[in-house]
Amino acid sequence: MFLINDLITLLAANLILSQALGTSTIFIAAGSRKNLVGTACVITLFTTIGSAAAYCIDAALPSALSDLRLLFYTLIIGILYVLLLTAVYFAGRSYFEDFRKYIHVSAFNCAVMGTLFTINKRAAMDSSLFELGEYVSAGFEAGIGFIIAALILTAAYRKLNSSKVPSAFRGFPAMLVYLGIISMAVYSLK
Amino acid sequence: MNSHRKNLLGGVLHDNIVLSGLMVISPVIICGDTLRNALALIYAFSAITFLAVLISSFVPKKLPYTAKIIIYALISAAVYIPVKLAAEEFYPDSIERIGIYYPLLAVNSLIVFQTEAKFFKMKKLDMMISLIFCIIGFDAVMLLTGFLRELFAYGTINSKIVDVNTLINGLSEPFGGFIFLGLMCGVYRFIRSLISKNDKQLRSEASVSDK
Repeated sequence: MFLINDLITLLAANLILSQALGTSTIFIAAGSRKNLVGTACVITLFTTIGSAAAYCIDAALPSALSDLRLLFYTLIIGILYVLLLTAVYFAGRSYFEDFRKYIHVSAFNCAVMGTLFTINKRAAMDSSLFELGEYVSAGFEAGIGFIIAALILTAAYRKLNSSKVPSAFRGFPAMLVYLGIISMAVYSLK
Repeated sequence: MNSHRKNLLGGVLHDNIVLSGLMVISPVIICGDTLRNALALIYAFSAITFLAVLISSFVPKKLPYTAKIIIYALISAAVYIPVKLAAEEFYPDSIERIGIYYPLLAVNSLIVFQTEAKFFKMKKLDMMISLIFCIIGFDAVMLLTGFLRELFAYGTINSKIVDVNTLINGLSEPFGGFIFLGLMCGVYRFIRSLISKNDKQLRSEASVSDK
């Protein structure tokens, strides 16, 4: 029962289905299982570690300078981007060749940056959420939410791209309508 | 010549960044439900993208790819600050409503990735023309989405009540945005295929008459 409740909470708070964050990236991820695993892992890493760094920035940044938040968030994502590429490079040449494209795709996109801003907004509304643990768990949840949404899309990917769909709607348009229907179902869970 | 022209002006119809490239779609889906929001987003997107790409074009090309991407994103984040301060004067209500999607416009893939893949391979003047048409392409989609969704979701145009018999409240919700954009993408592709069919037909007729 707890598991079902958790799943419903994850779906209802899903940043892709409820806020359309990272929709373009999910279309890339849903293309194949390899892409799905690679992109989802890297995005979860970015959102989780990025959230921890975002907490430090939010704690240090005075409210009068809140317009600089984007600049600092961009800087931490940039640093994370370089660190991840370096880590994968030293892990081995084959890893680097495999994972490089996922890191490039995941670094600066709405899924990652949107997660950081959403967490910041929630913490601004409810001060009890302004804790490092809350930030990190929210970042991790966002990554898991991305995986769930990508899995839902992967399930229908082939059919939405099949020749049975009219050519004008084949692919992206059908996937957007499909995501809309899933989003409608998630909306009813709120 | 024809493909060169298509490359420059294609941002509006042939290679629209929203309907064809599926870039910057989150703000269109979530915030494109009223004309006022659409105008605020158009202003922000146009100003940030144009200035950021223009400034980024001076970044040395010899730098490694990753470094360039980070610099483009930082330039864009810096351009966002004065644009947002100005927007607070012109669109104070919309800024509140648009919320987190305002800063997200600054790290859009047109600035961060397309600059490197498309714009910086062109000459400066060509780049600017192509960029302006890409921006116009986004603006047109945003305006149309804002207009139609406001009309059918709230029965208003720019907050003025209009006599509409059928209201679809769901169009103002995110799922309405997804479905509306999906349908718009389909219609756009259909129109594009009709145009390209006509072009091919005209070309084949021309080649027959040439013989």
